[in-house]
Amino acid sequence: MSQLTYAKIDQTILDTLSPPKKFYWFTLFLLLVGVLIGAACWTYQIFVGIGAGGQNNPVAWGTYLINFVFWVGIAHSGTLISAILHLFRAGWRNPIARAAETMTVFAVCIAGLFPFIHLGRVWQVYYMIPMPTQRLLWPNFLSPLMFDVIAISTYLTVSSLFWYTGLLPDIAAVRDRSTGTRYKIFKILSLGWTGAHEQWRHYGRGYLFFAALATPLVISVHSVVSWDFALGIVPGWHTTIFAPYFVAGAIHSGLAMVLTLMIPLRKLFKYEDIITIEVLQNVAKTIVFTGLIVGLAYGTEFFIAWYSRNIVEIEQFRWRAFGDYRWGFYFMVLCNTMAPLLFLFKKVRTTIAALFIISLIVNWGMWWERFVIIAGGVAHGFPPHAWGLYAPSLIEYGIMLGTFCLFFFLFVLFVKHMPSISMTEMKETLVEGAGHAA
Amino acid sequence: MTESDTKIMVIKKSATFWVFLVLVAIGVAAFIFGLNGRHPERAWQAYLINFLLWSAIAQGAVLFSAVMHITNARWSGPLSGLSESFAAFFPISYILFLVLFLGRAYIFPWLHEDLHGKEVWLNIPFLFTRDCIGLLILYILGFGYLFNAMQLKLDPNQPKSKLRQSIYDAWRRNNRQPDQIRRRMTIWGGLYILAFALVLCLIGFDLIMSMDPHWISTLFGAYNFVKAFYIGLGALIILAAIIRLRQGEASRLTASHFHDIGKLYFAFCLLWADFFYVQLLVIYYGNIPEETNYVIVRTMLAPWNRLAWTVFIVCFIAPFFILLRQGVKTKPVFMLIICSVVIVGIWLEHLLLLGPALSHEAPRAIPLNLSDGLISLGFLGLMAIAIGYFLKVFPEIILVKEKS
Amino acid sequence: MPLESHIMGLFRDENSVVAAINALKESSFKFIRVNTPFPSHKIMNALKLKKSMVGWFTLCGGILGFIGGFALAVFTATRWDLIVGGKPIIAWVPFVIVGFEGTILLSVFGNVIGLLILTRLPSYRWFKYYDPRCSGEHFGVLAACKIEQKDGLKDFFQKQGAEVKVFE
Repeated sequence: MSQLTYAKIDQTILDTLSPPKKFYWFTLFLLLVGVLIGAACWTYQIFVGIGAGGQNNPVAWGTYLINFVFWVGIAHSGTLISAILHLFRAGWRNPIARAAETMTVFAVCIAGLFPFIHLGRVWQVYYMIPMPTQRLLWPNFLSPLMFDVIAISTYLTVSSLFWYTGLLPDIAAVRDRSTGTRYKIFKILSLGWTGAHEQWRHYGRGYLFFAALATPLVISVHSVVSWDFALGIVPGWHTTIFAPYFVAGAIHSGLAMVLTLMIPLRKLFKYEDIITIEVLQNVAKTIVFTGLIVGLAYGTEFFIAWYSRNIVEIEQFRWRAFGDYRWGFYFMVLCNTMAPLLFLFKKVRTTIAALFIISLIVNWGMWWERFVIIAGGVAHGFPPHAWGLYAPSLIEYGIMLGTFCLFFFLFVLFVKHMPSISMTEMKETLVEGAGHAA
Repeated sequence: MTESDTKIMVIKKSATFWVFLVLVAIGVAAFIFGLNGRHPERAWQAYLINFLLWSAIAQGAVLFSAVMHITNARWSGPLSGLSESFAAFFPISYILFLVLFLGRAYIFPWLHEDLHGKEVWLNIPFLFTRDCIGLLILYILGFGYLFNAMQLKLDPNQPKSKLRQSIYDAWRRNNRQPDQIRRRMTIWGGLYILAFALVLCLIGFDLIMSMDPHWISTLFGAYNFVKAFYIGLGALIILAAIIRLRQGEASRLTASHFHDIGKLYFAFCLLWADFFYVQLLVIYYGNIPEETNYVIVRTMLAPWNRLAWTVFIVCFIAPFFILLRQGVKTKPVFMLIICSVVIVGIWLEHLLLLGPALSHEAPRAIPLNLSDGLISLGFLGLMAIAIGYFLKVFPEIILVKEKS
Repeated sequence: MPLESHIMGLFRDENSVVAAINALKESSFKFIRVNTPFPSHKIMNALKLKKSMVGWFTLCGGILGFIGGFALAVFTATRWDLIVGGKPIIAWVPFVIVGFEGTILLSVFGNVIGLLILTRLPSYRWFKYYDPRCSGEHFGVLAACKIEQKDGLKDFFQKQGAEVKVFE
């Protein structure tokens, strides 16, 4: 970090905005093909009906909900890094904050698609909006699904505004070094920002409020998502630990996705001096911590199920560990709690390949955790005659492929056209050095 | 650092010590008086509440130092050292736990109930064995962390007591470099944090939740350790405020220290309330009689509903609105008052959780009287004497920066 | 002919900026503003500015959102007056969530509106007397003086170690 100067920071980041090579367009094209496959599957589902998916009785919530929770979870660690770590004045967040916020915004967009997809009759989505209609339909806010509507839309709005506010000084920096069309576009986007002290004076305080407001929002949004499950009485779902457990899991999976995104980005854009191995190490250490919290939650659930002597709870958890979906459970425990423990060894934490592979393992494990909870809970509920299994259909796989591709498509589009590291915050770190780092 | 500096800092066997010793005596007397009265279970109830509260304070405060070290936080400064002084209460807490065994007939309502299979977990030998081992592990890890953490803070030229001398001898025998010491701090500190989570979950389940043996809440253990950190931070702020008010500039505690720890305190106030609400919401919606009975008795029926609202207002509503203002957090006097009131509020919260389970007939009034207050004063005296002793033996814990 | 001449001194490090600002304040020249590529604590402290009023916009938004959130939930529940799930029609425990999200949403709106109003954005007025280098590695201190003193101000900046840019 010591050989970084303002000029070097500007140069490194502005270089990434140069006209892309063929490889970039090819990647975008492939991702777009994936998106179109997903769109085609969804269109098919709209015409044929929600039965095109694998969900039925008893498992009425399948990959659409699993992916919904998965993507909202990923969004959370972006806000953790940009907002919560800003409040803690942790300087190591600065190199990754911008990309993390971007990941948040796009992940929430993707997550927001899933309630639509799962609706089946998507044209009726307006029923959920509390506005006067000709039929005097009003939603009832007692429903946790309505909490979801306001929580996710609030999160999307707040994250986007936070993201844009953070981008503003950087957009000005790019504007000042551009010509032609890019200059015109960035001039409008920058809203006339010039870094005058009168502007910074309010900006600093406003940004602090953003961070302070985004923090409780993060906790509330994933708590609300967890309540979609916990507020029912399904065994395995109805448990008070869900809210903090989901929030910790969200941060866990999101941090893993941050590593998955940052490591290739760093290599391709030559960000090694800015996103240093120190930064990646700190992310890895945090993953150990969140992995342990999630592990504690797994253990507590089993313990209380046993302690309660409630035969339904005991059966649900026995089945979880030894029943039809036991592989999902093993993935869950091994990938989410055990694998990150490897990060306790410095050698592992500082090897790029290990960081990348373990981040993929954690992402895999976290997806399976949602499967085990969501599909597993309803598959093995109260009445034994209603026990059943679930497997995703091709349409669901198609839609899943489409949404994953959409996320990476948006992200890849972003990094080539907007500064993917906050130049402003990096320059601040240079000045303060060790003083303001946590 | 000169001799005179240290003399100012030393908490000698001054008037304060005798005051606290008197408090302890009053507490012991009230407790014994209660035991021999008509309702010995009331005395044991007060004992249990205080044991849980003060142990949690000590465990939570030491957690602060471990967390600051693991996260490489630099803002805490002298606060980390100050928080380590709460470890002096650990041995006292352990002995107090062992004494709890004597009151087992009065404390555990499930002793003579039909537990429908829970006897495997809820039986006196197993409960005491596992909790003794758990607390022992926690306290040993805490001391292990402290052993390493203090090596970087202490000045070898200080007037020596036998305790210090033996510690110095151990350090000299080990002869470690600062880097090695810091690595060991990370390991011991990490293990302490892990043990804190597990042991406080266990204590929460064993000594609070299971008092109502047919009720469950998976979050209860975590709720217990968040509560412990909340009051641990509060106690740390109180101690820091007292030291700042007595020593002034020499304490090296600045307004920004108070501001930062005030903000962390505010965050944990919110987190405590969040963990409280999260349990309430899930039980409210499920409306399952096994779960709701516990909550209805405590939040909707007299006399406990008044206590529930009091706890909620004192521990969340009031601190939330008061601590929103930046200015309040930087003034030690205000923080001292607010944190003290919150600790009293959490004492009442323990009463709220334990009271209905430990009173066998539904009481018409909240079972709270002077005797409970006196016993609590006794515990306060024990805590104060423990911290005072620690600060007397290691006065530079708050003064000397970690040697780099 | 304009009566005032605006000149910007471009510095490369914060400390010289702070020195220049202090010197400017004591001189006969008028200090207008400093443009920095990032918010520098040293420079902001040297300017001795009052605290920003953005927080009040945020607070107003928050209060409106809190009341609004509860109001929305209560209003929609009372349209139908149906007992759902055994819960009262106006159930405060769950409505807290709606109120909370409303608080956050509207306080963020308040924050943004406050920021836009106070920083006077969007507006291109800030581009007058601006040098694009100020978003890169330079700090631009803008001062004004009477036409006759133009050379004096140029000298002043050069003595402080800055590159000089004259705006007509």
